[in-house]
Amino acid sequence: MNPPQMSDMRTEYSKSLIEVGKENPNVVVLGADTTDSLKTSAFGKEFPNRFFNVGIAEANLVSVSAGLAASGKVSFASTYAIFLPGRAVDQIRNGIAYPSPPGKKGLNVKLVVSHGGLSVGPDGGSHQQIEDIAIMRAIPNFRVFIPADTFAVSGLVRLMANEYGPFYMRMARSKTPIVHSDSQEFHTGKGITLRDGSDCTIAACGITVRMALEAAEVLQQEGISCRVLDMFSIKPIDGDILEKAARETGCIVTSEEHNIFGGMGSAVAESVSERYPVPITRIGAQDMFGESARDNEVPLLLEKHGITSFNMVKQVKEIRSKKL
Amino acid sequence: MGLNYYQIKKNILRARKLVIKSTNIAGSGHPGGSFSMAEILGCLFYKYLKYDPKNPTWEDRDRLVLSKGHAAPGLFSNMSVAGYFPETELETLRKFGSKLQGHPDLKCPGVEFCGGSLGTGLSYSIGIALAAKIDNKDHHVYTIIGDGESDEGQVWEAAMTAAKYKLDNLTAFLDRNFIQQDSYTEKVMPLDEELTGNNISEMWKDASRWKTGDKWRSFGWNVIEIDGHRVEQINAAIAKALATKGVPTMIISRTIKGKSVEHMEDNPQWHGKAPDSDVVPLIYDELDSQFMIAPSIIAGDMTNLENEVKRCVNGRADYIHLDVMDGQFVPAKTFDHNKIKELRPLTVIPFDSHLMIAEPVKHVRDYVEAGSDIITVHTEVCDESSFGEIHDLLKQNQVGVGLAINPDTDLPEWSYKFLPSLDQLIVMSVVPGKSGQKYIPETHEKMKKLNSILNAHKFTGYIEADGGVNLENIGSCFEDGARAFVGGSAIIGQTDVRETIREFRNQVLKARRKKLIEKAHQLGGADLANKWIGLHVVGEKQDQIIKIAKEENLL
Repeated sequence: MNPPQMSDMRTEYSKSLIEVGKENPNVVVLGADTTDSLKTSAFGKEFPNRFFNVGIAEANLVSVSAGLAASGKVSFASTYAIFLPGRAVDQIRNGIAYPSPPGKKGLNVKLVVSHGGLSVGPDGGSHQQIEDIAIMRAIPNFRVFIPADTFAVSGLVRLMANEYGPFYMRMARSKTPIVHSDSQEFHTGKGITLRDGSDCTIAACGITVRMALEAAEVLQQEGISCRVLDMFSIKPIDGDILEKAARETGCIVTSEEHNIFGGMGSAVAESVSERYPVPITRIGAQDMFGESARDNEVPLLLEKHGITSFNMVKQVKEIRSKKL
Repeated sequence: MGLNYYQIKKNILRARKLVIKSTNIAGSGHPGGSFSMAEILGCLFYKYLKYDPKNPTWEDRDRLVLSKGHAAPGLFSNMSVAGYFPETELETLRKFGSKLQGHPDLKCPGVEFCGGSLGTGLSYSIGIALAAKIDNKDHHVYTIIGDGESDEGQVWEAAMTAAKYKLDNLTAFLDRNFIQQDSYTEKVMPLDEELTGNNISEMWKDASRWKTGDKWRSFGWNVIEIDGHRVEQINAAIAKALATKGVPTMIISRTIKGKSVEHMEDNPQWHGKAPDSDVVPLIYDELDSQFMIAPSIIAGDMTNLENEVKRCVNGRADYIHLDVMDGQFVPAKTFDHNKIKELRPLTVIPFDSHLMIAEPVKHVRDYVEAGSDIITVHTEVCDESSFGEIHDLLKQNQVGVGLAINPDTDLPEWSYKFLPSLDQLIVMSVVPGKSGQKYIPETHEKMKKLNSILNAHKFTGYIEADGGVNLENIGSCFEDGARAFVGGSAIIGQTDVRETIREFRNQVLKARRKKLIEKAHQLGGADLANKWIGLHVVGEKQDQIIKIAKEENLL
């Protein structure tokens, strides 16, 4: 494969927010002292009266966003992953997900975080959120996305701005490889087949999608045909695309930078086991925390947790022997 | 809604009864915290809050956020009194399938906030207030937070945020009832100062120990501190808050958990417990027996009425009774509306203007403009038509409507049609015209007859006993049905007005307790009487009640 084109999700998020902000005067953006980092401050320059920085007060951030949404605003509230689901789950649950105006489910708040997963790197284990998907998936009315690249970010920001209700979207800290094209469409609950294959499926999300494509390339050279799915919509999960993969390829390896408990891999396993059970192997943090790694060492950190294309190749080969 | 003082009080009473009813049927709920904020909700729902029960999502409505969501029965009861849904629906409180959930919920149209998780409502209100600013809307956001809830750090995050964004469209009330689930707030987590003993009233009395106002002031808020059970103080505070620009307002309302039901007052056990069915009728009776003390300032120094008003204020009077005499209807002459206007800025305590003047219909507007909260005119100088005019004028101006009868006068038949909407009936127990006369004992007999007429014509206002009322006869006036008591020389003539008013209250309280023990006996014999007495666990109430019961041979 050619070296990937790298692109920054936060820059794309910022750009997309301004675009949807121009189209919809009800879009408001909130931050908690990470607005330069998240690059949402650019929205504030464009729309000063629709931008609020509440300081290092994430609980407040969430509840204020809910109040704005209750008055007809479309709230985008952003900070680092570790400080939202990890810190303000009560405000998220009781303040956004639970309150449901007649005929609606939850309030119209979009929680968009950066610095998800282990690839946060140097800040260390205290800042590497590997439980957020499990937390957010368990809360009724929430939809949960992990975009793989900047095309996904812009598509999903637009989707969230237009679709009523609570969403959680987790971005990565570092630049991520482009895996989609600008013509790619994104729909809630619809996975994307990035590469077809008949011997096995790798279901990936976020930064692991590119790894999955690389693994499939290696497997191809060894004569194994591997399908690659971008499961960016973790909740709702695309049961159809998974059932099809199970039927046609007979085994699935999942990969994510999240604890293997409760993450995308769990969502895939839940769906497949109910609809068409096949062997599944989950790659991800094996129920242990991360640690500091300088930017150039992040691959080493990921490797420690088995989140590499090399391990995907290995797991695919192993799981094929377990096919029913 | 814009109701007058009396109508607000009447609705508050109605809502309190509904809290008792609904929590009793539900078998659980939080009456204590519903009662501590009862007057706050009353002033909001029936005077200041803009809303349309038929159109709960009306864009320009004011928003009411009950952050202390466990007091949901209080919110729901007021919503039903305000017309959002029928009172019978309150019987579904906390029931499977009901829109009246255990905590306020958007499932119930008109509820603005899903409460329950404490400490989040103020932040949510900030969101609403910010949205209003973005949209250039002038609706107001009112939020009620609890003192226990103020343990939550998020409250203080919100405090900073509201100040930063200069949210003058946000007014918060702190329902400062000093009690949270485990115990007294000043024991669990002091907001003012740590309490070492068990006597919470010592905190109430000693203003030098109150630090909560300083906290909010230092966070950049406009702070107003009031007695949260005084309708007039709440109204004045809201008016001030609405007139304050550039900063949010915090109205620190010192309240009593379980207020208006003695055994619930200041009792942490009533944070989250429903009353038993056999006690409910007693509670209703107790709620119906709220009373007010109204010193009459003409019994004091007529050359310095300003000072007499100040003595009433210091004495914690409920009203200030103003006897206007014109030298025609009665031989004596006191003062007119000009004096009332001069006195008005001295206090927000309701002015109870008793017009002993000829042709009141010609002058009543002057007394409205002077700032009276209630105006009482005499039946002897009115007829159906002129009183109808007075009645309508007063109601339009949110002033209470009163009628008075002299000792030798019966209630005229033309007045019956006004009884359902009459706020006060003054039954004179002396011949009006001068201060210092003796109570006419025949008044007791007269009251019996009067009560049956009043009941038959659905009178729900206050009966005010006026004339010769003193410590000896006030209890029997209460038994006769009076709920407001004018004290002339018996109060104003005394050196220590505050202590005298306290003694007046104690006498009425004694009569009320006696009445309630009798009622308990009547309904459930000694068992119920003992049960009711046993509920009074805070302070010395139980001993005092047992003493009354023994004196009356009721044990």
